Amino acid sequence: MGAAEMNSAALPLAARYQKRPLGHFYALLAVLLAVLAALGAAEWDWAALTDSERRAQAAARIGAWLAAFARPDLSAAFVAHAWELTLQTLSAAILGTALAVLLAWPLAMGASRAVCVGEERDAGRSAHWWPWLRPWLRHFPLRSPSALLCAACRLLQDILRAVPDFVWAIILVAMIGLGPLTGALALALNITGILAKVYSELWDGVDESRYAQVRSLGGGRIATFLYGIRPLASRNVLSFTLMRAECAIRNAAVIGAVGGGGLGAEIWYQVRFGAWDKVGTLILFTLLLTLAADLASNYVRRQLRGDAARSGAAPASCALPGSVGEATPRAAVQPSARAARPPLRPWLAAGFVALALSWSLWFMGWGNHAGEGGAPRNHLVPAAELFTGQAWENLRFFERLLKPELDLAAIGLGDPDKAAARAAQGKAVELFADYGVADFWRPAAWAAWQVELQKWFVWRVVESAAVPLAIAVIGTLLGVGGAILLTYPHSASFQLHAAQFTGESPAPWQRLLRALQLAAARASAVVARGVPEVMWAFLAIAFFGPGLVAGTLAIALHTLGVLTRVFGEAVDNQPLARFEPACGASRATTYASVAVPRVWRDWMTYAFFQFESNVRAAVVLGLIGVGGLGFQFSFNFEWFRFERAGTYLIMIILLTVLIDRSARLLKLSRVGR
Amino acid sequence: MQHRGTAARRGFLLSAAALALATTLGLGANPALAQQAPAKLIITAIPDDGDADRMRENFGALARHLGKAVGIPVEYMHVENYAASVTALATGRAHIAWLGAVTTAQARMQMGDRLTILGCRDIDKGFVSYFIANPSTGLGTVADLGELARAAQGKGWSFTFGSKSSTSGHMMPRKYFMDQTATTPERVFRSVAYSGSHDVVMQMVADGTHQVGALNYASWDKAADELKARAPIVYKTPPYTNYALTARADLGPELLARLRAALLTIDGSTPEGAAVLKYLKAGKFIEADISEWQGYVDLLESGIDIGG
Repeated sequence: MGAAEMNSAALPLAARYQKRPLGHFYALLAVLLAVLAALGAAEWDWAALTDSERRAQAAARIGAWLAAFARPDLSAAFVAHAWELTLQTLSAAILGTALAVLLAWPLAMGASRAVCVGEERDAGRSAHWWPWLRPWLRHFPLRSPSALLCAACRLLQDILRAVPDFVWAIILVAMIGLGPLTGALALALNITGILAKVYSELWDGVDESRYAQVRSLGGGRIATFLYGIRPLASRNVLSFTLMRAECAIRNAAVIGAVGGGGLGAEIWYQVRFGAWDKVGTLILFTLLLTLAADLASNYVRRQLRGDAARSGAAPASCALPGSVGEATPRAAVQPSARAARPPLRPWLAAGFVALALSWSLWFMGWGNHAGEGGAPRNHLVPAAELFTGQAWENLRFFERLLKPELDLAAIGLGDPDKAAARAAQGKAVELFADYGVADFWRPAAWAAWQVELQKWFVWRVVESAAVPLAIAVIGTLLGVGGAILLTYPHSASFQLHAAQFTGESPAPWQRLLRALQLAAARASAVVARGVPEVMWAFLAIAFFGPGLVAGTLAIALHTLGVLTRVFGEAVDNQPLARFEPACGASRATTYASVAVPRVWRDWMTYAFFQFESNVRAAVVLGLIGVGGLGFQFSFNFEWFRFERAGTYLIMIILLTVLIDRSARLLKLSRVGR
Repeated sequence: MQHRGTAARRGFLLSAAALALATTLGLGANPALAQQAPAKLIITAIPDDGDADRMRENFGALARHLGKAVGIPVEYMHVENYAASVTALATGRAHIAWLGAVTTAQARMQMGDRLTILGCRDIDKGFVSYFIANPSTGLGTVADLGELARAAQGKGWSFTFGSKSSTSGHMMPRKYFMDQTATTPERVFRSVAYSGSHDVVMQMVADGTHQVGALNYASWDKAADELKARAPIVYKTPPYTNYALTARADLGPELLARLRAALLTIDGSTPEGAAVLKYLKAGKFIEADISEWQGYVDLLESGIDIGG
């Protein structure tokens, strides 16, 4: 990224060497351990890939799908149906994102430490009794009321993000009833959590020294936010909002728990029926929708940036908050140029957004007649229910979710009678019955301890988290590996402009070949990214049967698509002159030994973000038959065993919180610093 | 500095939140309709048929029939999730619901006396589930499920139920399996999946995605012959009570009586009636009492192992 270069160039030489990233070696070690743990902790059933009969079956299904994909069902009736579903999906996504932006803004203000707590990084360090305690105190929420508010807001946004949207949809059924709006609101709640997290990270990521002047002039936290932090981060916030709108369109394809329907529900239904020609049509529509959203958001971005030449500078992708183009240093030299231009383009962009929003409101309210016999009716009316006491009264239906089943009897706590009864049945945990603490070096002891612990419900809940984690670890690694390979043919620098730094002069047929390679790589990346992971999972399950392998493949494919785009942009953003020192080497050598090391740091940041979103995706995949935490949660929720579902829900939230907090601690979000 | 900004920031946060709420309110536009005397009845159903449009069409016909008979507009709202239909009924967001036996019991456990039964089909008091197998398994008809379990031992077959909350696609097949084999499907088969609906179970077994599956007899009977040949029956369960048209008791005895009467008069003489009966594979609707589903409530409350 541009800023990375500038910042590191500005540092004194000594500081740069001091910052020599030994961390990467630790990181590699950690990755290796994670892989071993992932392979060991979950039950991998490779039979779908190793057993020849099942492999042949899977190959036959993939073949049938590819053949049908080439001949999608384009009958007028089905295309009209798919078009209707596409519009439903689109309006739900636009409405959901718009609401989410409104809700996320105040929530992010609360969750951003820079805005809400407003502590200066180094203030009071020298005056403090224990200077080394200071950094740790910053992570202690009880140190001041505002810090507590900040922690509460962060928890709230994590809950919004972690709870799967079908659960929000069911909760909203109780509050506002059935209808297409319910699905859109559920989507809005989920996106609110995601946007609030990213906004707050972007605001926290602004270097304090850049708005220190507002503070020193006596500005309070609000003034610091309005005149310092917000303008400095606004470009990134805008980029990410647009990017998120694209992702919402992709994810909206997946909702359909209540009323609304949409592309996702239909694909899932047709996949299970093996109606591959129809699946082909639906995936085609999903891709078209994704691409149209991509173009539209690029259009808005370009209008708002007022600089057509930089339109490609902002890598955009799902769940990669760090990937927004950090172009502020360059922006500083442009005010004169911008002032000279009539300020029409922002209005164009605003008009476009307003148009899209009013269309989605109209469609959601009056245009969508699905399921009511054709009589026109305003579907937006149910939203008013939110302001009646009845809606909130109905929340009591889910009260039991707040009383999670902790199964204290199994570990001899709580009611002594029940604990005694459990112990009498032999179903209580007696951890050191066979092996004492001193036996920790014996593998058999660990196995026995695990068996004992499995009698405790909460332990089984914790263990079920291994499935999404394992899927995310392996899937992300496969995706990263694939993306590194695919980035080479995907990069314009290496396929079109290589002559400028390798010194070769390729023949016309060679250039044509490279252009074809580029086109093929870009097309496959677009397909891999444009189809949401849940849809990949539908396909993988249909091909290989339900299980971890299908889930991992789905995650890996989607990760491949998303990462190839941002990886490729990181490479293409490098000035070609940087590759010149390798003059004479082949393109592949230059790629491996010059280009990759230059962008490695950015790549790893993107990869970590993708990992975080993959963990959540893997939980959701559990809902559709991959197993593990998500499956157990939805099973108990759908059987109204809310106490048990509550325990699983806590685990899901805990997983999200842990990954989020560790990312914040590692400051990975500050791309380019 | 930390304290000086607090009040101002709180004020700003509050006003920002108020703004967000006000905007949401603006979207709502109209005040809520009073819920006391329903001007419109909402009917929903568990999505046991994977085809949403087919359900909309046929339950729409049922809604029109009931609406004509009681003089209040009745509207069908489709949901894609069993739990959502129970939630809607239990929280008053739907007034009438077509539920399976398990979902009826779940609603009963949530609602107590606030749940009542309008009626059920003539076939619901002797409902049966089928176990089906892909021909590649080489399974013929088995005398009981113990034989099936012994045949499946060590073969690495995978098994599929329908929806998790389905009576005929999960609960009863599982109960009979556990009664007859003294073990659970999870211990016998390589994997146990929940495919979502009955027609999907049949398709997946026929395609060999899963080798063995369980579904209700009506869905098997109405499938095409070609599909039946690829997913033959290996076992038929004993009969049990299943679906019911349930309603909220707070609709009032007078309205409930009219709804019950309207349901019992459904026959092939009107286009709506004919469509509903044909779709639901029923000859007519008959009277039923909530006590006939009490067995399921007891079963659920006994903490039966339902997997998961």
